[in-house]
Amino acid sequence: MTDAPAISTSTSTPPSESPSAPPPPPPSTSRATVRETVVRTVKAAGAAIAQLAGGFATAVLALGVLALLAVTALTAPVGVGLLLAPLSLRALHALAGRERARLDRVGPEVIAPEPPPTRLRRALTDATTRRELRWAARHASLGLLLGFLGVLLPLSAVRDSTFPLWWRLLPEGGTSTSIGIGSAHSWLDALAVLPLGVGWIAIILGLSPAMARLQAEPGRRLLAAGPDIDLSLRVAELTATRAAALDAHATELRRIERSLHDGTQNRLVTVTVLLGAARRRVARDPDAADELLERAQSAAEHALAELRSVSRSILPPVLDDRGLAGALSGLAAECAVPCRTDVDVPQRCAASVEATAYFVVAEALTNIAKHSGATRATVTVRARGGRLQLLVEDDGRGGADEDGGSGLTGIRRRIAALDGTLRVTSPKGGPTRLEAELPCG
Amino acid sequence: MRVVMAEDDPLLREGVALLLGAEGLDVVAKAGNAEEALEAIDTHKPDVAILDVRMPPTHTDEGIRAAVEARRRHPGLAVLVLSAYVEQSFATELLSGGVNGLGYLLKERVGRVEEFLDALHRVAAGGTAIDPEVVAQLFTRSHQDTRLDRLSPRERDVLTLMAEGLGNSAIAERLVVTDGAVHKHIRNIFAKLDLSPTDQVDRRVAAVLQYLEESRRAR
Repeated sequence: MTDAPAISTSTSTPPSESPSAPPPPPPSTSRATVRETVVRTVKAAGAAIAQLAGGFATAVLALGVLALLAVTALTAPVGVGLLLAPLSLRALHALAGRERARLDRVGPEVIAPEPPPTRLRRALTDATTRRELRWAARHASLGLLLGFLGVLLPLSAVRDSTFPLWWRLLPEGGTSTSIGIGSAHSWLDALAVLPLGVGWIAIILGLSPAMARLQAEPGRRLLAAGPDIDLSLRVAELTATRAAALDAHATELRRIERSLHDGTQNRLVTVTVLLGAARRRVARDPDAADELLERAQSAAEHALAELRSVSRSILPPVLDDRGLAGALSGLAAECAVPCRTDVDVPQRCAASVEATAYFVVAEALTNIAKHSGATRATVTVRARGGRLQLLVEDDGRGGADEDGGSGLTGIRRRIAALDGTLRVTSPKGGPTRLEAELPCG
Repeated sequence: MRVVMAEDDPLLREGVALLLGAEGLDVVAKAGNAEEALEAIDTHKPDVAILDVRMPPTHTDEGIRAAVEARRRHPGLAVLVLSAYVEQSFATELLSGGVNGLGYLLKERVGRVEEFLDALHRVAAGGTAIDPEVVAQLFTRSHQDTRLDRLSPRERDVLTLMAEGLGNSAIAERLVVTDGAVHKHIRNIFAKLDLSPTDQVDRRVAAVLQYLEESRRAR
């Protein structure tokens, strides 16, 4: 019969319709919050160290490429350099590509510009090549240093923290701390090294994310497509997504038309038919007429309920009444899996963006409830830099794949229609992360 | 009268069946899609089949195609097609197979029980029943045609009722005039529209509908 919109779950009054009910408080206790903060910090530090190590590798390679380019430049007058030039330029571009890929893995996408020319004369004046050169210079110096520290710090931390366990094994007079000052002769001295280890750990936990960001900054700034290049790429991207948007729009309209037609219209025709039959009966057989009128009334009530659900599936009234935060906490409360929301959006976005965010979260939570076997879910929404960032996580069995069901494809299409981005990380065994970004509009 | 009903919405199906039953008609079978409808018609050989246009699986024109097929298999079968909205092309597709024993009505018309039963009986008897709304649309669309302008308002009324498939006496009753007056109007109409005169109702309906359809398309 009618396509039931994905978001209409229960028939009981949802929180949005009782104006006096406050939004449900987050279920976590303060102890759990502290534990979560610690876990989060450690995870962030771990990721940062890994990122620094990766950056260290590319920095070493950058040093090599710079050396090669230097040789090319020096031998150019002799002619050898001219032959070497295409090779070294290609090496530079390949390395820049690797760095872009690495940065893509650990953060937002770095859009690559058009592949630059490799012929020397053109390359000398090409903006992309020059930016890549500047990047290589920065990365091979600052990036190398930061990466080196990123590799060294954990090692030092481990060494100094565990020093009292093995200092006896060192030869007499060997350096006792990782920074090479003093030497330990007694247990007291050995224990005094411990604070140093703790210090390294503190530095890692506190500073490594910033260090990783600092190391990545030249790459993000210099390796992304420049503003003018970006524009033509964006036009191509927009043309592609415009087609997707029109398609999504047409599908939405068809869905609304079908819901209205199949459900509501048929309901009203039934009312008409029953009323006509009742009128025929009313003189001769009032009881039968009354029964028909009862059925007509019930059909009319059905029609109203269908209309309500159709209008909810176009633009949920709850968004107007309680804003995105309220609407999402309503969804979380209705979700079969215990769900926590964390919405920090200081300014309202365009209605279509908020509606899309609402439907994306609704579909995501439906998928979680149906397929993931999760015990908890969280919805985090932030507004940063004119973009709305959605994150839906669950601790379920993962393995979410787009070809398996229509849930993810629907989400992807809604997001593409608004020119947003979607990333789903769902390894087998879980957990699953769904990250979407929409321009605030 | 024995009736087969095909309608995919269960509430509506029950509602119409209830109505027909209360009016003394014998609903021998109720179908939910075109296949079931054709099976039921083959099995029960009803006097008239009432078919919804939009049915599963594609919800486009299953009813029309079932109607055409059923009339092919059982020549002379009376079919009444119910549509939720007026789709001109559906009407013409149906009517291209001949107008005898054919009806095309809006679903809500069923609520006007007397008119609906009239139409049903007319169709079962081999006549035609075209929804007034369909006819009205035919008229508005062929507004450009100057020949229709030649008709007096009364003649237009008669033409409209003819297109709906009413016979002379039914037209006379509706317009509260004598049969003779209706007869005269019809002769004038055919003359003004340059149509060859005929007294047979079904041929009349066909001629009128065809005329209106052509002038609509010529626009």
